[in-house]
Amino acid sequence: MNGEAIFEARDIVKTFPGVKALGGVGLSLMPGSIHALLGENGAGKSTLIKVVTGVHRPTSGELRLDGRSVDFGNPRDAIAAGIGVVHQERNLIPRFSVAENIHFESFGANRFKPIDYRRLNESAAEWLRMLDLDIDPAMSVTELSTARMQLVEIAKALSQKSRVLLLDEPTASLTSGETDTLFEILRRLRDNGTSLVFVSHKLEEVEALCDRVTVLRDGQNACESQSAEGLTRKDYVRLMIGRAESGSGWRKRDTRAAPQVLGLDDVASGLGHSGVGLSVRAGEIVGLYGLVGAGRTELARVILGQEPVTQGTVRIDGEAVRVADVSEAIHRYRLGYVSEDRKGEGLILQHSVLANAGVPIWRKLAGRFGFLSDATVRAAVLPYLTRLEVKTPSLDQTTANLSGGNQQKISVAKWLAAGVRLLIVDEPTVGIDIKTKAYLHDLLRELADGGTAILLISSDMPEIVALADRIVVMDAFRTKGSIENDGDYTTMSEKIMTRIQDRTPSGTSSGIGETARCA
Amino acid sequence: MTDSASSAMDTRPASRLSSRSSLRLFLLSNEFGLLVLIIVFAALFHGLANGFLSPFNLFALGRNAAVNILIGLSMMTVLATGGLNLAIGAMGVAAAMACGWLIEGAGLAWPLAVLGGLALGAGLGVTNGWMVVKTGLHSFIITLATMSIFFGAMIFLSQGESYRALPAVFSDLGRARVFTFVSPMFLIAVGTALVLSVLYRYTVQGREMLAAGARPEAAEMSGVRVERTVIACHMLSGLLAALAALLLTARNGAAIPSMAGQLGQDWLLPAFLGPVLGGTLLQGGKVSVLGTCLGAFLVTMLTSGLLLMQVGAFWVQSFLGILLLLAVMIDKGRRSYLRRRNLA
Amino acid sequence: MPSLTRFVRTDWFGPLLACIVAIAIIQSVSPTFLSLANIQVLLLALAVNALIAFSQMIIIAIGQMNLSVGAIGGLAAIAFAGAMEVWGLPAPLAALFGLIIGLACGALNGLLVRISGMSAFVITLATLSIYKGVNLGITEAQAFYGVPQAVKAFGSAVIAGPVPWLVAPTALVAVWLWFMLRRQPVGRFILAVGGNEHAAELSGVSIARTVVTAHAISGLLAALAGILLVARLGVGQPSIGDDWLILSFAAPVIGGAVLSGGSVSVAATLLGVVIVAIITQALVLFSIDPYLTQVILGGLILAAVSFNRLRESRFIGRFGRA
Repeated sequence: MNGEAIFEARDIVKTFPGVKALGGVGLSLMPGSIHALLGENGAGKSTLIKVVTGVHRPTSGELRLDGRSVDFGNPRDAIAAGIGVVHQERNLIPRFSVAENIHFESFGANRFKPIDYRRLNESAAEWLRMLDLDIDPAMSVTELSTARMQLVEIAKALSQKSRVLLLDEPTASLTSGETDTLFEILRRLRDNGTSLVFVSHKLEEVEALCDRVTVLRDGQNACESQSAEGLTRKDYVRLMIGRAESGSGWRKRDTRAAPQVLGLDDVASGLGHSGVGLSVRAGEIVGLYGLVGAGRTELARVILGQEPVTQGTVRIDGEAVRVADVSEAIHRYRLGYVSEDRKGEGLILQHSVLANAGVPIWRKLAGRFGFLSDATVRAAVLPYLTRLEVKTPSLDQTTANLSGGNQQKISVAKWLAAGVRLLIVDEPTVGIDIKTKAYLHDLLRELADGGTAILLISSDMPEIVALADRIVVMDAFRTKGSIENDGDYTTMSEKIMTRIQDRTPSGTSSGIGETARCA
Repeated sequence: MTDSASSAMDTRPASRLSSRSSLRLFLLSNEFGLLVLIIVFAALFHGLANGFLSPFNLFALGRNAAVNILIGLSMMTVLATGGLNLAIGAMGVAAAMACGWLIEGAGLAWPLAVLGGLALGAGLGVTNGWMVVKTGLHSFIITLATMSIFFGAMIFLSQGESYRALPAVFSDLGRARVFTFVSPMFLIAVGTALVLSVLYRYTVQGREMLAAGARPEAAEMSGVRVERTVIACHMLSGLLAALAALLLTARNGAAIPSMAGQLGQDWLLPAFLGPVLGGTLLQGGKVSVLGTCLGAFLVTMLTSGLLLMQVGAFWVQSFLGILLLLAVMIDKGRRSYLRRRNLA
Repeated sequence: MPSLTRFVRTDWFGPLLACIVAIAIIQSVSPTFLSLANIQVLLLALAVNALIAFSQMIIIAIGQMNLSVGAIGGLAAIAFAGAMEVWGLPAPLAALFGLIIGLACGALNGLLVRISGMSAFVITLATLSIYKGVNLGITEAQAFYGVPQAVKAFGSAVIAGPVPWLVAPTALVAVWLWFMLRRQPVGRFILAVGGNEHAAELSGVSIARTVVTAHAISGLLAALAGILLVARLGVGQPSIGDDWLILSFAAPVIGGAVLSGGSVSVAATLLGVVIVAIITQALVLFSIDPYLTQVILGGLILAAVSFNRLRESRFIGRFGRA
């Protein structure tokens, strides 16, 4: 394990317009090792991966392979240099056979020479055997499970002579059995000398698998390529969030007397939720915590009427309602949703600041026959844009040209202008600089003080602990009860983790009963 | 999106766009470019071909431009949703033929028949929109199929016969002149364009059409009923196509099944030329009514000028194809320039 | 019975079943349907229509569309007829000339799509108009009647029984396309670009070259269809190709082609052509208004795409965003 690094990234800086994603980051990979790359959302992990795999060119800094400086102009260069990556989104060609996908690279030599499928299958079978996979190489990849598609991608990367293999959240959509199989294969690859990089949010997996670790925080190394020996999950958490206390700004707020704005009672949905119970009172911030894939964003869609409720009751202001669609949720029930997918769902990037801030209130502002002038909209939204200190040369500026922080301010401002009673905020500070983040936190508290009910969805535990009055834990599309927040990060993270790891179904149902009653 | 530009933005408070850069934006706009081209070509044709600016030629130009403008606007309303509509010609002809039948076959008064034709156009548009929304398929394949269905049904019902015994009001509209050189048909087209401008700029419905077209997911999450809005866009498209065909009927003095060619395909090129020249985004979310009108007018003028210069009608078709290619390429260049300058 | 399941799940099973059912129904109502004369008519229609469908199919394979299929076919047709009548070229050379024109027109489409980065729809709409205009500009909308006797003879001769010579080139093309899309890297590249462009590019496929190749093949096939039609009609009509658009999409779509690319089948497309031909023929047999053909074709497209959509949505559910 000791010796020369296969691959090194030194002092990598990467800036995007308005944002410094990486500020001098290092990473050094040893042969025969599994290296964990950790960090919260927005810490710079994915940017670093993109730099290493040739998708982005670093603004400054150096990549070294076998001690020599290299420059990847595009992902092909990185692959040719022996750096393979298995992304979350599938990079397989649908309907093509497993063998063909593994060896697609080798077809380039002569475009007209008939492909010898028998030889292809035999050769692919070897790679599959090497991974101990019982997959028929002639089978179409479309017929494979997600887990097996991923393994085929690993086989493909190995067949391309990858000596460094990056796995970006490989277990995100795997069952625990599939995860075990994957880990076994990864360990075998490590023993054969491959250098693996493992990116995951699941710290227990990191503890079980990795021997070295790099942690990023706010685009910097919180620790660089050090041995994982002696490090515990607690240390990782500390490294990832920087300060153990971190519940900065939390203050006790008592809303027990306030009326309930939103109540879910034993709700099941077409998306797979079951036994979901939670309650948000006026002026209360309820945190909805869960790992990626726990069904939180999906729950927001159910509340907003985009997906059907199949069982249980949804109450708004104490009255059982059936929200027909998002438009009704917004215009009739005055709910608002700040999407985690700011660029896809939160904003119409192609349109102006004014148009974006005004969409939800156009109908309210319009006169007879739907007439509406810019001046009316401007008058309605400008106070909120000003209050949120949105920095833009003009309200006619295309939203795409603003920084991430300013974009997020607009997507909050439009709900302020709409005067919502319940605001669902989904991962509000991902990819946003620290200053704006703190500002948004203050804003959410202020909003709640003004009587708005807030449901805060976040996988950033410090954020939840800093903001929420109560925390509802969600796992596998079920709620696992709610916890009163005391603002102390250590004890709260402990409690939340216990809830998530508590897999007993009986515990779950009692938790729900409790939540439903406390509503 | 350059670093310097975004940091500059962060230091400036919310204020009006500076007048200098808005002037530059206007000079770079499609509308301005088209205006320049129209003037240049008008001068050119005036010098090269006798009688280009004669009152009669201007009158004829206005009549043709009216139809092309409406066809272009009809496509534009669907382009706004990021889709397209191949069935414009088929819907238009079907509407005009329905109007003809209502007068000659059913014996209705002409105003009612015209309303009936317009309603059919709108109805066919709703059919298109409904299918696009419900199947989730691209409007290309839906409107390709309905183009065949609408046109086939129209030919089957009419047995390919024209309606020639229309009331004089139709041919009168085609022949009438205002101020010796303006066709009232042209005024109808301009009036329609004005209404559309108001729709997109000053009404909720129009704004929601653009929002739903630019980013349906975001629009829906902000409370826009996207499906309903998309259907409305298709309805508008059908209505405008019907109006275009009715004006064409007035010009011809008859409703003729072949007036938009086989399956109405002859309308496709002018339908795209106007909006694309005028800067309407094919990805949806941005339209230019003025640009579409100017684009359609330029196309009409070029056609007329080339014909006056004795260029064969068939070659004019090739020329228009090249014009569309040029427009696409120039637009691409202009957009990347604007992006580099961080202007749009 | 795994072999049976496999058989049922092939892409051409559905269209084949539809085909057999359609034939059985029509035959039971009208016993003359499968007469030799009728079969010959069917095969003649098939020979040209299959090429038109393949010409569009290869573009659907890369996830694009080609509106200029008919315009290219028409231009190649009049180039073929005109070269024989005006220049007195021998038929094989004239045919080669027509094919080269088709290939060039197709390649130009591909290049323009690639360079502009615009949707193939707009580009091929523009070139449709250019090619058609050149066609009419040269012919002034007048047909070339000086098609040599030998060419006309080829257009009406039979190999044996009801099988006309005209199907020979089409059959060869079908086999070649099948082989290319199944076995040759160039064909696999085309399907890969349509299936997952990003993954194909990461595996070293040149997207530009593949797109241009597909368009060139499309042009070549459209030209061949135009040339065969000249042989069948015995005249070089400038209007050849005007009514190909709907047909070119109908057959691949009925054959289950996925419009977003990556999944086309030569056999299924061929069966799609057969289904369209049978239905057209049945309308004639039952003396139903031929104008209704357009309505039925449109209806078939709608039905087929909706059905494919259902099938595909199940598939996407498992594969994620493919």
